[in-house]
Amino acid sequence: MSTMTINGKLAPLPDDPDALLVDVVRDALDLTGTKLVCEAGVCGACTVLVNGEPAVSCLMPARSAAAKSITTVEGIGAKALHPVQKAFMAHDALQCGFCTPGFIVEAAAFHDSWRAAKGASVPSREEIGAALSGHLCRCGAYDGIFRAVADACAGRFDGNDILPPRMEARDKVTGSAKYTVDIHHDGQLEGVILRSPFAHARISELDLAPARAMPGVSAAISLLGDDRIVRYVGEPIAAIAAKDRKTARAAIAAIKLGSERLPSAIGLDEARRADAPVVFEKSARKKAGNVSEGGGAPAAWKGNVRGPSAAFSKKPKKVRSWVDGARAANNPLLVEGTFRTGTQQHACLEPHAAVARFDGDRLTVHVSTQSVFHLMELIAKRYKLGHDKVRVIADHVGGGFGSKAALGVETTTAIELAREAKAPVRIAYDRHEELSVTGYRPATEMKIALLPSEQGELKALSLTAYADTGAATNSTIAALARLIYPAEGKELADFDVISNLPAGAPFRGPGGPPMAFALEQAIDEAALRMNVDPIALRKRWDPDPNRQRLYDWATNLEVWRNRKPIAAQSGRYRRGVGVATGYWLYLWQPGSKVEVAVKGGRLIASTATQDIGTGTRTVIANTVAREFGLEPHEIEVRIGDSKLPEGPGSGGSRVTASMIPPMLLAIEQLKAAIQQNAKRQPVPGSNAPWREMLAASPDLSASSVRPEDSRQTAPGIESPLKQVGFLGWIFGWMMRRFSNLAIGAGVPSSVQVIEVEVDTWLGHVRVLNVHTGIAVGKIAAPALAHSQAAGAVIQGIGYALYEAREVDARTGDVLSGGMEDYRIPGIADTPMIDVHFDEGGFDHVLGGSVGIGEVATVPTSPAVANAICNATGVRLTELPIRPDRLVAALKGRAAA
Amino acid sequence: MTPSAMTATAGEFRAAGTDLSERRRSGVSTGPLVDISAAPDTIGMHWGDDGSLRIGAFTTIAVIAADARVAEAYPGIAASAQGLATPQIRHLATLGGNLAQRSRCWYYRNPHIACLKKGGSDCPARSGNHLYHSAFDLGPCVAPHPSTMAAALLAYEAKITTDRRSSLTIGDLLGDGSNGTADNALQPGEMIKSVTLASPLEGERALYKRAISRTHAEWPLVEVCARVVIKDDAFQFTRLTAGGIAPVPLRLAAVEAALQGKRANVATIAVAAKQATSGAKPLPMTGYKLDLLKGVVQDLLERLAG
Repeated sequence: MSTMTINGKLAPLPDDPDALLVDVVRDALDLTGTKLVCEAGVCGACTVLVNGEPAVSCLMPARSAAAKSITTVEGIGAKALHPVQKAFMAHDALQCGFCTPGFIVEAAAFHDSWRAAKGASVPSREEIGAALSGHLCRCGAYDGIFRAVADACAGRFDGNDILPPRMEARDKVTGSAKYTVDIHHDGQLEGVILRSPFAHARISELDLAPARAMPGVSAAISLLGDDRIVRYVGEPIAAIAAKDRKTARAAIAAIKLGSERLPSAIGLDEARRADAPVVFEKSARKKAGNVSEGGGAPAAWKGNVRGPSAAFSKKPKKVRSWVDGARAANNPLLVEGTFRTGTQQHACLEPHAAVARFDGDRLTVHVSTQSVFHLMELIAKRYKLGHDKVRVIADHVGGGFGSKAALGVETTTAIELAREAKAPVRIAYDRHEELSVTGYRPATEMKIALLPSEQGELKALSLTAYADTGAATNSTIAALARLIYPAEGKELADFDVISNLPAGAPFRGPGGPPMAFALEQAIDEAALRMNVDPIALRKRWDPDPNRQRLYDWATNLEVWRNRKPIAAQSGRYRRGVGVATGYWLYLWQPGSKVEVAVKGGRLIASTATQDIGTGTRTVIANTVAREFGLEPHEIEVRIGDSKLPEGPGSGGSRVTASMIPPMLLAIEQLKAAIQQNAKRQPVPGSNAPWREMLAASPDLSASSVRPEDSRQTAPGIESPLKQVGFLGWIFGWMMRRFSNLAIGAGVPSSVQVIEVEVDTWLGHVRVLNVHTGIAVGKIAAPALAHSQAAGAVIQGIGYALYEAREVDARTGDVLSGGMEDYRIPGIADTPMIDVHFDEGGFDHVLGGSVGIGEVATVPTSPAVANAICNATGVRLTELPIRPDRLVAALKGRAAA
Repeated sequence: MTPSAMTATAGEFRAAGTDLSERRRSGVSTGPLVDISAAPDTIGMHWGDDGSLRIGAFTTIAVIAADARVAEAYPGIAASAQGLATPQIRHLATLGGNLAQRSRCWYYRNPHIACLKKGGSDCPARSGNHLYHSAFDLGPCVAPHPSTMAAALLAYEAKITTDRRSSLTIGDLLGDGSNGTADNALQPGEMIKSVTLASPLEGERALYKRAISRTHAEWPLVEVCARVVIKDDAFQFTRLTAGGIAPVPLRLAAVEAALQGKRANVATIAVAAKQATSGAKPLPMTGYKLDLLKGVVQDLLERLAG
């Protein structure tokens, strides 16, 4: 048996020629700081040092490590933190943290060789970007990573340890943070799912016996629905639990399957045809998934098309006649167009994963989830267990973006396999599963018409959106155009086009980015035709007080004031500046509860929420610390466990606004109790009165439930649903009743000004500068809010320029199931990002803060497209704006 | 013999495994493996007295990319090595493996889909989604050849030595694209040992560039390696090769002919760059690659002439 030296210790290597180094490191040696993500050497999460050089352990045969020295993240800074680790902490160069160990390993090697060769000179952004080009971060922490690596190389982190602004940053930069995929119980089995190779079929025969009979296999279960129909490639059919993944996969291959193929319809165009095969017969419609954050209203189905959902329209018939009239009269102000957007995958770096374990009648499930508490409720209901018998845990979550809000197949399957196998079972999706069957932001086709009045007001808006939802429904895109830019009339219609593709899912501001892509370009076009500054036109048409302040900020930006007229340049490279607006609803979760306690003199805040990289731990710690005059790291934060008091799900940007108000009430009560119990008052003039009182306090606790907001709002601040009248009231009531989400007053808003450079020869767009102005009230954790805002821009750039799921239109196979073919932004694609927070507008919310996650990504893609139009005179109407589309558009040609 | 038959008889060679490991994990590659490793004459740089260079096939891409003497003598080779994949891949991947790697086609890489390279009867990309495929349709399989080093070595007229044959050209090694079942024309069990480059021409310069959607770390939509000798303000020698556009790397002979002896200026280059698409046969979704090809050629030539 050969050996390697790993972090200074000898370790044996397996004889299996197919064993990969990453599996030995993670599974045999339990060094779980090294992450497995893309399985193809693209993302760098598995990077280790081999004799000092960074290498991807996911592609390295384990036997090739023989006699070599391997260093994992656990071996970097084992005695004292490496300067790069301190720099990542200080600059908050991380969010969910799943990519962080790989970045740390690479950046530490770069730092060491840079300083050996160049002393304390500072590497350029280009040099850092090239050195880290083999790493991908889905949260988009690149802005902080640039600063961290540069400052570490400059020697600014050679000194003492630091306290990071993010509570759990130390665990993430050292690799000690445990995610669901890192959980390892004794006797744990590996679960693998057999998925449909067919787009549409009836499974006539499913024989699990040959699989069950194989050595090492402990459970085999059917996952077929009652109709035994599979409706997309990848739909679960059965699952195996076995001693390891290899055995489970072999057992999957042994399952006997008989099927009757059914005709299929793939994608928007095919599924809309009159003769298209129907995906969901009437009796099966409830099986369809949901692509929105809340439940939907009923709508008519015709074949595979569900809709129109048009409740948010206003005088739609008049709108149609005004638009028809304007077209007939050749009204030059009438803006009409068709816009298309691509299918965006969440591409979480931690795959969907669950580890289920029964102890007697008690079930513990570690899940990579956005909602520990609600998931516990759903599991208890589904398996008829008491709430006290089910515990859902998620200490750290490697990204969610909307795709991990529901009770997923990975979780139910792990539970059912664990029950049958009588042993703990882990299911962790592979990258192809993650990039095909875990949901996505549906592609769209949107027809828009925008008509200004003769007086220069917005008279009418028509928007019809068809969403490519796959095996799901409830897309809300056009309806969102009701809650911004009031007009005399709006004709808004949403259609779901159901087809034999995996189900879409909510994705960061569901419906918002595509709606903005169409609407914000139409506004831009109207401004051009009216010869009005595009920000001035928005200021005229959009009375929202939060955005009015953002428009004032944007209009004074130097890059905006220096902007050239449209298509004023002729060379190969052309620069342009564009603007766009976005909004999202201010949502909070009724019933959210926070407990604040003093125990042994230490403050502990607890709630059953989770931190998916959004900074929830830190928002809690900062809030408690501020109220008691302490440092955040003095506060113990307990989250990620459904045993704690009911907390909010991490979706709909609701967490901050759901947690801070009850936390402040609980703090008030706790303070009163501490004072009541105090034997003596603090020394007058003490600069840390609470520290003394806490130290002397007996153990006490207080908790509070999320109160209603104050009805006293600033002028113009109201629920956006007010514009929709009675139907808006009903919509709000339904959201609260059926989705446990309250829609508050005031509108979280974002205005982005973006500068691009277009290479007209190679169809390449480089985003140079982004100025993102955000109004979400008071910022509870400034460094982390900055990371969220910058990351949202980077994800928006991915949506604008690179990201598209590609499928085979005949078979329904997802072709872009690897991270080479599903292209998320890399560090070198990151522009300079200037974040501006306008902290007003939410004084009616206790604490004054609402969430930032979704609103910050909504306007990026139209701002990029408007900037390209400013540079070239050509309007790009289809996302992503890839080289093939850009070179075609510049030549006036239709892209394939 | 098909590659699958080759696998059955000899086993698939594995050097660093940066290509093969992914295919093993996904199940595209099954069957026996033969691990191969370097010998002194199959690794590192071996410079001849005449200024020629023999590079051992086990030399990593990172070593080639970082070698100052390679960058001086063969800047197109060095730039190609620096421009491919990612730092962590370049530290592992070998030159021989880069030449012998298998197609990156998303149909080929999907274990559930049959294709010519996996014993199937037709090319699903041809009639399916071939957004990233060939624009010079030269054979039954429409996947472009993935080797960046092959395109650069073609520009330098490199000769390949295997354990059985010597003085193979890149054309001999990879074939002409007419065999859709294979990515190269190596015999079953034949192993690449080294690559030899003749001494550089006097005064020659070279550049490499790929067109991609992002900034780094992406398979090329189009890539070009260009060598020139400009003397007395005229193109005395030009050699351009392109990858990402055909089942094998292509020499852009029509561009070379249009430049030969002409003044090295923007006007000549603009005319010559249009010849880059001479002989192109784009697929319905790959016409854009011709625009990019012209653009990359023009970009490189302007910089070389500037």
